[in-house]
Amino acid sequence: MTAQPILLDVRDLKVHLRVGPVLVKAIDGVDFQVRHGECVGIVGESGSGKSTMARAVTRLMPNVAIGELSGDLKFEGRDILAMPDRELRSLRRGRGFSMIFQDPLGYLNPTQRIGRQIEEALSRDDAAGSDKARVHALLDEVGLPDPVNLARRYPHELSGGQRQRVMIAIALASGPQLLFADEPTTALDATVQLQVLQTLYRLHRERNMAMAIITHDLGVVAELCDRVYVMRGGKVIETADTVSLFEAPRHDYSRRLIELSARHHNQEARA
Amino acid sequence: MTAPILRLQGVEQIYTSRNANGPGWNTVRAVDGVDLDVREGETLAVVGESGSGKSTLAKLLLMLNKPTAGDVQFRGMSLAKLKLAERQAYRRQVQAVFQDPASSLNPRMTVERMLGFIVRRHDLAPAAGTRSFLAGHLAAVGLDEGYLDRYPHQLSGGQQQRIAIARAMMLRPKIIIADEPLSSLDVSVQAQVLDLMRDLHRTTNVGFVIISHDLGAMQAIADRTAVMYRGRIVEIGDAIYTRPHHPYTRLLLDARLSLDPRRGRIRAMSALPPRPDVTAASSGGCKFRNRCAEAIDICAKSDPMLRPVGTGGTLAACHRAEEIGAAASAGAPQTTTI
Repeated sequence: MTAQPILLDVRDLKVHLRVGPVLVKAIDGVDFQVRHGECVGIVGESGSGKSTMARAVTRLMPNVAIGELSGDLKFEGRDILAMPDRELRSLRRGRGFSMIFQDPLGYLNPTQRIGRQIEEALSRDDAAGSDKARVHALLDEVGLPDPVNLARRYPHELSGGQRQRVMIAIALASGPQLLFADEPTTALDATVQLQVLQTLYRLHRERNMAMAIITHDLGVVAELCDRVYVMRGGKVIETADTVSLFEAPRHDYSRRLIELSARHHNQEARA
Repeated sequence: MTAPILRLQGVEQIYTSRNANGPGWNTVRAVDGVDLDVREGETLAVVGESGSGKSTLAKLLLMLNKPTAGDVQFRGMSLAKLKLAERQAYRRQVQAVFQDPASSLNPRMTVERMLGFIVRRHDLAPAAGTRSFLAGHLAAVGLDEGYLDRYPHQLSGGQQQRIAIARAMMLRPKIIIADEPLSSLDVSVQAQVLDLMRDLHRTTNVGFVIISHDLGAMQAIADRTAVMYRGRIVEIGDAIYTRPHHPYTRLLLDARLSLDPRRGRIRAMSALPPRPDVTAASSGGCKFRNRCAEAIDICAKSDPMLRPVGTGGTLAACHRAEEIGAAASAGAPQTTTI
């Protein structure tokens, strides 16, 4: 795994937001790397800056007053921050990066059929087969039954797990090399969560697609990730491969998170 | 055995809505014939997936919903027939804590003003002593007096939930019905709120009915746990985590993620079997049989009733409960498909 070249290289990322008169240092000097085909976890509690980091890296932060956005962000050696919008768009539309979110309903258009929304995101460069056939193939790939019928449905007709699978299909439509998943299963029932995580892992392996999973749930990290970044207060306080983090956390905060999660997942006898 | 403070008898709740795609009405049986005793001073967890009817159950216990059929009783008296004085006693003794503390607190009032209303309404303290009375109750949930002057938006999620618990505790209730009190909180804050609930239980013997989808947290706090599936209680007991007797309970337990990166179950799983369509109407028989790996002929013919199984006082609604319980205690490899 270590032999793989670096796909995303973030150095000294700073995102400072203006909230009224106050300057909030949401991200304050973060280094972050993802290699080709690697699965990286980003854990932290709410307010630690994990989602902000993903949005800054994917340049999805239009609606907030940004005080400072600086750092060295390179995707395959290309500078993301300095990139003109056109180039950024082509990166999102083909072989670049995609993102999925916690709440799929908030990102799906309620007035359009599922199939059309996936079609819109298809990459244009390597057209193999008709758009419709490609949409059906994607729906099938993310594990949804009866793609032909499903493509004609609207988001409100689907269950939470199905909607998240549709989001994944949209994210995959551009054939990304890197998928950012921001709390992809937090809103789902435990049984559905397990299925969606299985699907993500299968896609990660089959497509050799790198993943960066943002989560507050160390269980998700333990099940899926090769390497972990622990974030707190806008900084990365520890980074390690997953096994070392769980077996020998170096930072007190990481240790505390793991203990609390163990207690939470109840892998200890009841007191 | 203590007398039940709340009792559900054959309770059904049917929600009706207009059919979105044409004429007619849709009905959903959110709660489908539930019998349940809540004993004084116990911590009862109600777990299940979304849509299993657990929040509706909480609303029925809180008299926020009127059951379509069946009876909800408070100390042996039907809620529908309570006289004014009895209803006041019920409202004092049965309190609520909700999932999203921000929306259950008034954003335009300071904590002092908000809680002060309750003090006056129930005459809990003399006007001059209100502030010290409130300060005492905040101290009991681990907040100092300064928080009385804050607005809800100036508090973190955990602090808001503590205020909501303090508000419920002020009336010295016998039982608090908490609907997903943890799910909007961070793990570290969840642990603190769980500890707080345990402390309150120890010092004041207040009971809890906690509605949750989180089996791990419930195992840590509950005396008894009821597992709901599609409006029914399918298993209830104090040892369901270590010795499940219903395949659905086992399914929920198996769905928990491992914290051991060397085990990585998801990595080990290769093919995932598609889940059968659970919304498919099953006419007769066990409602769970379409998802059940253990289903046999009888499951399609007869709907299992909740009955005592094993020796621990567990009740389960499954034809094969004994075999499943035995397999669980023998530590047999569990191969449930989800």
